[in-house]
Amino acid sequence: MGLEFLARVRRTSTWLGGVIALMAATYVSPMLGLAFAAGALWSLVNLQLLERLVVGITGPARGTADGVRRIGFAAIGMLLLFAAGGVLLMLLSPAALVAGFVLPLAVIVVKAGTQVLLGSRAWRGLVTHRWRAGIAALALATVTWFALGALTNAGGQPAGTPAGTTVSEQQHGAPTEAHGETAAEPEGEAHKEGKSEGFTNIIALVAGAFPHAAWARFLEHYEVLVFSLLVALVLLFVAFRASRDPQLVPSGLQNGVEMVVEALSDFIISILGPKNGPRFVPFLGTLFIYILSMNLFGLIPFMHSPTASLNVTVALALTVFVYVQFIGFKELGPLGWLDHMLGSPRDLTGWLLSPLMLPIHILGELAKPISLSCRLFGNIFGEDMLLVAFATLGVTMLPFKQLPFGVPMHAIFFPLALLGSVLQALVFTVLSSIYILLMLPHEHHDEHGHEGDAQHAH
Amino acid sequence: MAPPQDKKPDDPKRDPSGMRSAATLLAIPSLLIISPLVGFFLGDLGDKRFHTSPWLALIGLAFGFAAAAREVGIIYKKYLETQER
Repeated sequence: MGLEFLARVRRTSTWLGGVIALMAATYVSPMLGLAFAAGALWSLVNLQLLERLVVGITGPARGTADGVRRIGFAAIGMLLLFAAGGVLLMLLSPAALVAGFVLPLAVIVVKAGTQVLLGSRAWRGLVTHRWRAGIAALALATVTWFALGALTNAGGQPAGTPAGTTVSEQQHGAPTEAHGETAAEPEGEAHKEGKSEGFTNIIALVAGAFPHAAWARFLEHYEVLVFSLLVALVLLFVAFRASRDPQLVPSGLQNGVEMVVEALSDFIISILGPKNGPRFVPFLGTLFIYILSMNLFGLIPFMHSPTASLNVTVALALTVFVYVQFIGFKELGPLGWLDHMLGSPRDLTGWLLSPLMLPIHILGELAKPISLSCRLFGNIFGEDMLLVAFATLGVTMLPFKQLPFGVPMHAIFFPLALLGSVLQALVFTVLSSIYILLMLPHEHHDEHGHEGDAQHAH
Repeated sequence: MAPPQDKKPDDPKRDPSGMRSAATLLAIPSLLIISPLVGFFLGDLGDKRFHTSPWLALIGLAFGFAAAAREVGIIYKKYLETQER
């Protein structure tokens, strides 16, 4: 049991502290969750500094300049940490701070106890016998079930519940709370602000913790934009990491990214052809990866799919629409583009019908971005709502126990959501490619597949 | 323009642009629905503005159907072009 044990304690405490803080922020109050997280973080940093101090004093570098420097840094860090602790005690709930502070210590005790238990003869006797192990697991589950029920009943109603509201009612209202409205706020507040119901996300939690802060209101108001930018930043980071030190024989991230880019390039070229395809791969490939990432982002806990908002899908569809018109203008020239809009009249009848063809063509062009945006929005929004409905069902299945969690009923729909996300990103990209193809001049091919001169638009 | 008789569209060796054909046809269903709707709603907006209800909405609907038919025609032409290669 050495430094490796402490590293495991830190990992466990970080995960456990994060989960407990988020649960406290969601089910009790955001400030309590924040206080718990701050307490746990303070304790973890304290443990890290203590470890450095002890290693500096007793480790191989003791007595050397490096050892003295380490001890000095650790001591200064501890002084700053104690000052920060004092400020936190004045700002946040002391009880929650202390609970967070105790968490890593509790993890140490439990981990040490587990190590003792796992090495004992009694444990070995229990786990080597199938029936004994089964009965022990059943007994443990039963005790946990009743203990949690007793604890939640003894604790009364959670702090966030308004007077006269049962926990069951609060659980039914969970999706509304999910967007930052506390249960005390009037029902339908989310609808007034034009927001959809959905899973809780990190911005809603932050906005709930700082209800009067202007920056929190700003973040909440532009939540969809913030998540879109976050996805873009993640993609930028991945692209940067993958292309930072390119190798002739790729491996790891570079290999994965190259595989995706190559597959996308082949796919787009198979639709647009070898002549036109390559120059549209950057736009259409980026579109696919960005939409897919946004679709999948909502499946990460405390995140939100930007494509479940019509604003984002309309923006994406408008980008494609403007790009397609630009391509037409560039490829056909102003007169060619106008000729295309008039339905390419070549005889007297054509010219006589052209004033009628213009509004028809404009309607057809307008239908394209609308169909693109509505399809993507409808599918991703519906997918999210399906998950929310089943998650709520999972929570309301156990109202008699008044537990702050439920059966993860929505988990069975995750494969469907994954498939739907990929499919919708693909459909958006394919249709965008087709709209570009329809705007491009005709390609004439001979039997060997060589492409001839561009003649005219359809 | 009829598809050539000697080529089998479902044969991948004879139809290297199968993906393009499938993708082209994928655009039809939504355009068939959306175009008349767009025409109707634009006409309805015009009706509200000029107090001509229901004439502009009906004209918009007719134009929408025409636009849908025209788009389907263009897409089908593109599909046949792909099949001819």
